Amino acid sequence: MKKMNSIRKKHSLALVVALCMAAPLTLAGDLNLSGFLSVGGGMIDDEDSPGYGGYDEEDLTFDKNLLGLQVTGQVNEKITATAQLIARSETDYEVNAEWAYLTWQASDSVKVRAGRLRTPFYMYSDFLDVGYAYSWITPPREVYYLPFNNVDGVDFYVTQTVGIFDTSLQAYFGGFDDELTLGGALSEAKTRNQMGVAGTLGKDWWTLRAAYHQAELTVDVGNIPISPTTTMGGFATTLTALGYPDNAARLLVEEDDAVFTEFGLNIDTGRFVAAAEYVEFDPGDAVLSKNIRQYVMAGVRAGSWLVHVTGSQAKDEATHPEAGIPANQAMPVFGSTNVLIGTLQAIAQSQVTERDVLSLGVRWDVASSTALKFQVDDVDNKTTGDQKVFSVALQTVF
Amino acid sequence: MKKCIRLLAATLTLGMASFVWAEVAVIVHPSAGFDSLTEDDVARLFLGKSKSFPAGAQAVPINQNEGSAARDKFNEAVCKKNASQYKAYWSQLVFTGKGTPPKDAGDDGAVKALIAANPNMIGYVDASAVDATVKVVYKIP
Repeated sequence: MKKMNSIRKKHSLALVVALCMAAPLTLAGDLNLSGFLSVGGGMIDDEDSPGYGGYDEEDLTFDKNLLGLQVTGQVNEKITATAQLIARSETDYEVNAEWAYLTWQASDSVKVRAGRLRTPFYMYSDFLDVGYAYSWITPPREVYYLPFNNVDGVDFYVTQTVGIFDTSLQAYFGGFDDELTLGGALSEAKTRNQMGVAGTLGKDWWTLRAAYHQAELTVDVGNIPISPTTTMGGFATTLTALGYPDNAARLLVEEDDAVFTEFGLNIDTGRFVAAAEYVEFDPGDAVLSKNIRQYVMAGVRAGSWLVHVTGSQAKDEATHPEAGIPANQAMPVFGSTNVLIGTLQAIAQSQVTERDVLSLGVRWDVASSTALKFQVDDVDNKTTGDQKVFSVALQTVF
Repeated sequence: MKKCIRLLAATLTLGMASFVWAEVAVIVHPSAGFDSLTEDDVARLFLGKSKSFPAGAQAVPINQNEGSAARDKFNEAVCKKNASQYKAYWSQLVFTGKGTPPKDAGDDGAVKALIAANPNMIGYVDASAVDATVKVVYKIP
């Protein structure tokens, strides 16, 4: 039911924006259409080891396709309506309005937007789906892992030249409903009172970026199984009954204050390109792990070729949902409190990702709007083993 | 593969040959209240980093069509980007609603005609196309 609602909401929002655009535009005819396309696929080296990045076959499969269309219409001199519709092969080409917003150009340097927007988590967030705009086939998955890419709300975007520097500041407020895969099960998730700021400072060939976000995060983890007979919800009920309600609360993700911070650097001298990002996700009082992720990329351009190397790393830290339970206490049914502590620690540990990835990639600009890319990822997963991924993509904008 | 490389080399040589010759002139309406701009001023306008002339008036940059020799030379010399880097730069802004690239207005003649009729516009043409209907504010040798 919840899902139905969210889908209906999605469509009605898109409809409103479409109507806003259609009405004046049939008269004005000032409609801007642009699009992007990515077709590609890949294969892994070892089917006995877990897959990576959505690839899990030793045979080359072409199933990473995406088509996006962006329509922008001038409502009046100061207001534009924008909708971005995306069809992905992963979701069977179901068309989704990922963005639909109205922009009020308050002045030359200030924009206010309302509707469904891209959350400015990362340096490449704004054009995450437009592969043509960057060097990789997709940005490093260790860092670009957050599921909440969009937000329903309002934002404020200002660009300003300060001395010799170009600066920008974006601030937003909103919330979002999404579905996450956690422990193999699909869970409803939502953020409320989500807000954040992202700022950039740059000059000619370099840009620095920093961002801070916070939200009340709720993920429906109750139905996730932790053993053949117990779920997270069941275990939380048991903990409460045993007199450990604080620990039960930590196990569930209910309106927990989560914080996400990012620092980034981007360099493009024409000949040399480089990028680096460091992110931290603090789940507050929730059992999700503290995510510490980063990557560094460097590349060289020669004519229409760009060769790049990227090292990325996920080094998460487990939280401590067991804190406060005394060790070695005898208790009924479980025998000892150590069983509770052990179970809680195991759950926290299961949320931890520890992985190093070294990627080598090539981008070839075949024509002015088309790039062909190849990439090899050498994945060293500390818990599940190694993997190599070979992928290819053809990406265009039009 | 060898053939491919040779073909690529030939295309590159041809491409370069076309911009060795011509001088490109950045032009505005003759009524503009200034007589010259710096390379940085021009680059900022064409990369969407500023929206008005240093003197304060609103500026509307105009491109030539893709593939024109003047456009390639202008992008390389002023924006410091080749054709595909220029495209990638703008696709980062277009798909975020954070910017709109200069409109592609045609060739030397079409751009000159637009500039001559619009006091807010700025464009570039082959220097040989310049006449009294426009004012040159920067030259790319």
